Amino acid sequence: MSAEGGEGVKDGGEVEPETAGDAVPHTGTPDKESAPGPGTPEKESTTVAPEAAPASPKLSKVDVLLKPAGNAPILKKKRWTVDRHKKIGWISDFIRKFIRTETEDSVFVYVNQSFAPSPDTDIGTLFDCFGSDGKLVIYYCRTQAWG
Amino acid sequence: MAEDREILREVWDGRIPICFVLAREEIDTLEEPEPYFLLVPRQSYFPLVTDKVHRQFVKYVKQESQAQGELWLDFEGQPLRWHHPIGVLFDLYGDPKNLPWHLTVHYENFPEDELLHCPSKEAVEAHFMATVKEADALKHRSQVINGMQKKDHKQLWTGFQNDKFDQFWSVNRKLMENEGEEIFKHIPFRIHQPDSVVIQKLFKPLDDSGEPHTLEQLLKCTLPEYDWPDELKYKRVIIQGIEPRLDTPALWLSEHLSYPDNFLHICITTRLESED
Repeated sequence: MSAEGGEGVKDGGEVEPETAGDAVPHTGTPDKESAPGPGTPEKESTTVAPEAAPASPKLSKVDVLLKPAGNAPILKKKRWTVDRHKKIGWISDFIRKFIRTETEDSVFVYVNQSFAPSPDTDIGTLFDCFGSDGKLVIYYCRTQAWG
Repeated sequence: MAEDREILREVWDGRIPICFVLAREEIDTLEEPEPYFLLVPRQSYFPLVTDKVHRQFVKYVKQESQAQGELWLDFEGQPLRWHHPIGVLFDLYGDPKNLPWHLTVHYENFPEDELLHCPSKEAVEAHFMATVKEADALKHRSQVINGMQKKDHKQLWTGFQNDKFDQFWSVNRKLMENEGEEIFKHIPFRIHQPDSVVIQKLFKPLDDSGEPHTLEQLLKCTLPEYDWPDELKYKRVIIQGIEPRLDTPALWLSEHLSYPDNFLHICITTRLESED
């Protein structure tokens, strides 16, 4: 199964400006350092730090692109700069907060459109192993997509 | 790979004797429960083998703990992560000279910061399959696992869960395919150390001239802060309970000493002065 083929997926892709379909309420900015504010469709989401330019394992932060799968709502801001040492479980919590899912509802996150990493996996590790073009693409959905 | 069946079988059959004891402070009855002894497969996960342990101890703890019923384990104060194979936990924290391995059973004060919850056996299955998929993403860009049918995935899991070597390997050998187009792109490995996060990096099986990379090169690439191979004076490098020579090809290790989750789990521990 492919996310792109899923019903209700309105994925603008990496290069197009975002079309934030069913207006996701923009609630706060959990990642203060890297949140330049709502609705910035630029390729480089970050306004911080010149050191965040090229993708290198030495950096303490990495670029993450969050894409919906299935019927999950689209995030207004898809591209985030995340501390390498943050865990994937933290990303799930972050997405859950943003798409206003009840805490008991599940959010599933996938890397490579194929596997769900263990919640205690470092973002930096996933970036090193599965990142491409200087970013790590993470799909999220409310039901298991790639079971 | 047929001639290597004995090695795969030997690894599969690895067992660890464990003595489970209920945490003293959690005993709520006058009578103290007896310790419970089990011989558990190294390749398995604790939630798959602790049903009997749970039945033995649950009646001795407080009503509210019984109702909640989630068992967790520690070894000398170190909580044990259920989502790592038992053999990895033993190689990391246990001592082969001191058997059985004494573990403490808990129902209270779940260490939320250190352990993941395990709500059911389905959670173990989901974790296991996700790890297999991750490994194939590294080895074959997911092509082998995605080319399988749902029933193959199920057979892989049930073969593993029920300790059926042939059932498991008839599917797993496809994932271990390593010829022609299907040569491993990268070796799925994880490095575990007692007080450190798990390390996982991209590592190719062969160098530019087609020569196999060795375990030593893998260690130099992932832990460059240490002086390999001299570091062996201070550290043990343990895979499946064995300390392999550092000139062993990493690819051979991946094919023969990987856990059923398809990852080569390498444990690095401190060599105590009294040893050897």
